[in-house]
Amino acid sequence: MKNLLRILFPLLVWLASFSAIYALHGLGCALGWSNVALPGMSLFRWLLLVSWLIALLAQGAMLMALRSRRFRSHDTFIHRTSLATSCAGLISTLWTLLPVAVSGPCG
Amino acid sequence: MLIGAGLILFLMAGLVIAAFRVRRPAVDDARSEKVWILGLGLGFSMAVLAALLAYGLVAGERLMPRAAADLVRVEAEARQWAWRFAYDDRPGYFTENLLHIPAGRPVDVAITSTDVVHSFWVPRLAGKLDAIPGHVNVLRIEADAPGTYRGVTAEYNGEGYSRHVFTVEAHDAAGWAAFVAEETP
Amino acid sequence: MNALRRHRKLEAIWSSEPGWKGWTSSVNHSDLGRMFLFTAFFFFFVGGVLAMLIRAQLATPDSAFVDAGAFSQFFTMHGTIMMFLFAIPAFEGLAIYLLPKMLGTRDLAFPRLTAYGYWCYAFGGSMLLVAMLFGIAPDGGWFMYPPLTGPLHSPGINTDFWLIGITFVEISAICAAVEFTVSILKYRAPGMSLDKMPIFAWYALVTSLMILTGFPPLILGSVLLEVERAFGLPFFQADLGGDSLLWQHLFWLFGHPEVYIIFLPAAGIISTVIPVMARTTLLGYGWIVASAVALAFLSFGLWVHHMFTTGIPHMGLAFFSAASTLVAVPTGVQVFAWIGTLWKGRPELHMPMLHILGFFVTFVIGGLTGVMVAVVPFDWQAHDTAFITAHLHYVLFGGFVFPMLAGIYYWLPLLSGRKRLFRLGELAFALIFVGFHGTFMAMHWVGLMGQRRRIETYDADTGWGVINFISSVSSFVMAIGLAMVLVDIIIHAFVAMRGRRNPWQAGTLEWASMSPPPSYNFASLPEIRNRDPFAGDPDLPNRLAKGEGYLGEPKAGRRETLMVDIATGRPEAVVVYPGNTRLPILMAAVTGAFFLSILLKLFWITPLALAGVAALALVWVWQLGSRTDQGAQDAGRGVTLPLASETDRSPGWWGSTFLLVANATFFGSLLFGYAFLWTVAPGWPPAEWLDPSWAELGLGIGAALVGSIALRVGTRRNRNGTSPQLALVPALLATVVTVIVFALLLFRLPPPDGHAYAATLFILGAYGLAHALLVGLMQGFLILQVRRGFTSARRQSGFSVVGLWSDYLCAITVLSLLAAHLPGMAL
Repeated sequence: MKNLLRILFPLLVWLASFSAIYALHGLGCALGWSNVALPGMSLFRWLLLVSWLIALLAQGAMLMALRSRRFRSHDTFIHRTSLATSCAGLISTLWTLLPVAVSGPCG
Repeated sequence: MLIGAGLILFLMAGLVIAAFRVRRPAVDDARSEKVWILGLGLGFSMAVLAALLAYGLVAGERLMPRAAADLVRVEAEARQWAWRFAYDDRPGYFTENLLHIPAGRPVDVAITSTDVVHSFWVPRLAGKLDAIPGHVNVLRIEADAPGTYRGVTAEYNGEGYSRHVFTVEAHDAAGWAAFVAEETP
Repeated sequence: MNALRRHRKLEAIWSSEPGWKGWTSSVNHSDLGRMFLFTAFFFFFVGGVLAMLIRAQLATPDSAFVDAGAFSQFFTMHGTIMMFLFAIPAFEGLAIYLLPKMLGTRDLAFPRLTAYGYWCYAFGGSMLLVAMLFGIAPDGGWFMYPPLTGPLHSPGINTDFWLIGITFVEISAICAAVEFTVSILKYRAPGMSLDKMPIFAWYALVTSLMILTGFPPLILGSVLLEVERAFGLPFFQADLGGDSLLWQHLFWLFGHPEVYIIFLPAAGIISTVIPVMARTTLLGYGWIVASAVALAFLSFGLWVHHMFTTGIPHMGLAFFSAASTLVAVPTGVQVFAWIGTLWKGRPELHMPMLHILGFFVTFVIGGLTGVMVAVVPFDWQAHDTAFITAHLHYVLFGGFVFPMLAGIYYWLPLLSGRKRLFRLGELAFALIFVGFHGTFMAMHWVGLMGQRRRIETYDADTGWGVINFISSVSSFVMAIGLAMVLVDIIIHAFVAMRGRRNPWQAGTLEWASMSPPPSYNFASLPEIRNRDPFAGDPDLPNRLAKGEGYLGEPKAGRRETLMVDIATGRPEAVVVYPGNTRLPILMAAVTGAFFLSILLKLFWITPLALAGVAALALVWVWQLGSRTDQGAQDAGRGVTLPLASETDRSPGWWGSTFLLVANATFFGSLLFGYAFLWTVAPGWPPAEWLDPSWAELGLGIGAALVGSIALRVGTRRNRNGTSPQLALVPALLATVVTVIVFALLLFRLPPPDGHAYAATLFILGAYGLAHALLVGLMQGFLILQVRRGFTSARRQSGFSVVGLWSDYLCAITVLSLLAAHLPGMAL
């Protein structure tokens, strides 16, 4: 069971962070956060960028953990597959949440 | 986009056919994996898709409505199976299944519905946007030249669906001024 | 004992009753797999006839073949039948038939559940057929957008048939998914570690986990819409605080993963067939597993791309546009791994390979048009036109029907033990391939010219007439091709030409059974040392038949197999299966009575049917009980193991775990709906809130915690040999308190038909009440088992199962009560 979770967990974290940031975005647009100005950019953009960074850090930490002696699987197949899905999680977080940095927030 | 898709299709078809035809020396699995999975599977598809995504994001940004001085706002209210249009520039005036707009000026259409989900679509002016009860969606359209444009409803909405169409009439500056001045053209 | 005597003895234990009676009482996976496949292809035929009617209507402009009302029933039922009554059940049937054979075991984890699932599918599907025969079939499009399908705009019974029939059928999908997950993880041949599993099993595992998390949102949506239609609770009515967008979110939360739920099993077939046809092994096994997992997850982040035109803010669209392009990467990895496999070996052009080639061409085109519509501006033009219809047929026909046909031709010799007589299949393939591309290329084209999907007619001056005519003629060519496949199979069934074992020289275990396989699959279970156990070991079937594997000695009437450790495949326990019984069909019939009572608004039957289901479920579980400890069992080859029912991780525990995954997704979707309506729906806040109560909140949470803890204490006491009743009775009392708290919540709510707020809380409360009653029933049942001597320190499996459900009740009680009471306190 633990071995299966090693394979599934990284992408589960991606799904959670993707949904959470999408929800945050919907909430922010509904509450008009994009109109609150902060240094550099709006409060909303700050919030989104920071949460994106947290999601990326979580994925990075997961990748490190799955490589570490303490959390890695002793089964070579599971170990390699979990690393592959962990890389997939990291790339997915980078790729799918990229609009946080480049798209117009609401409208 | 179509050309790129065609090229990829020919590449794939060529590779499959070649697998039956070409005589080739045995290669060990590790090397094959590098070529087929890391190279073609991951490298090739990610490069193509990244380019496509960048194009999509940029094109999407360009389509975003911007603030404009000469903006005209109209309202479109859908019901089974008709459209009712109202005009900010001519309060209290309604048209059925015929939308008047000025040509060469950006127009914001505020779309809503009184009964079921419909969709506002004038193929030659813009993409489609749904009319959803309780929500108002705003679509930016702009007609380059005066004339008549065909509009349709593009979300299945019951038995009258195929006949649920409307017309957009784009006027030149004089015609629009006359329309706004309550002299129905 | 020689092989023949062993065979006779095992047949006596495992075989179903002879004749048609056997169909109703069989719980054998080979029987039920065939029944599933047969029924699924019957529905494929019905859906195909509907497609022909649609194409006949659209062949010419201003056609008066059928009217708009009939046409809307045609396209709604075509989509519904193909998606829910053909594609998913066909996968289930194939997997039910093949998985135990491929995994080297004798049956799936829960044989009676297989039968129950089949009968739910058969009865639910028949409901929709009846609706169609009477001309009252659903007519709102297969994705059933309210308010068009709501009580105001579709007052007839048509929509109810969809909501109730499909929910009924989905029970079978959930049953099958639980069963596949547990079977693949725990029921394998000894030594078959995860990396030695046949690739089809990996795909089936991923698909099953997706069904468990993908179907609940749709089931929730169907329940909400049916409750709105039957009792007037306004979930989708904007003027009463509902929102039709909620349905779209719930539907596509299911609907997009559904596409991959259909594609992944097909990918499993392709990954199995290609290496065999190319006389080599699969390239990049680990990469394929990883990309199937990645595909499964990514597919849950795509649902909004079906809603690009609903006015969602720009950045929101961009997220889903990005995810929709990314999902093509794992698909690409798999496609290139398959082509690489062909390059690695020496491919031969047998019948299954033809359909695989058909798959390659069709699916790649479907994928490419898919990437096009992932680009938002393009989708705004293409959405809801014939272009989308064409795209989805390329993906589904290319990604499911072609591989499925390849699979049929591949496994037909196993199923029948015969070989094909005529070369009809080759001609059929040519017709299908040409017909398919003619039909849907034309539809791409006419879609780009602006033809909307689902219109029943168009004017002659649109210029679409010729293209539609080409499309219709091609579709009839395709239909003739598919009919020829049917004829080919019928000839195959009636002309006995004995074939040899393993005609393709495959390496997987299903071919090591007999052709056709006996009811018990393997006379003894093999020890697995590599991924293709049958390759390079041609003597394996003989040794298994001679009983040289595990469990080679048939014991007094017991159907036995092994449970193994998930990762390593080390044997852990001996499982004893129940025998033939009519309990599943009876329970499915009573379940059907429950659904019919709602459909026909005979609400006095509803509680009776529910009580009937509960009573039958108790009989179901009671039959598994034993009054004496059985102790260690001889598993053959010098291994002794405990009985699975005498471990604390029994099959029931595993089944409950994955059923609760689906259940928790349902509950999560409900909470999502609550939050969604609150933030997005117009018409909030409601006029009247629930009057919050600290006393109820505290009492409810306290009782939930006490119930869960007391059951843990009871479990420990039982294991230590002391009487567990001292802890079980307080647990039951705490559950009774939970029932009361939920009943109070329902009682004190503002009128639920007045606003979506109260309506959602009503569903939340009813869900909690139902679970509290269910857990109370389970705890009462456990107490009864203890008193009747059905438990002991060894026979402890009941405790872990009830403990799991009690913990789940605790979690949902805390969350539901907080969601109900906190907002009223904060405001």
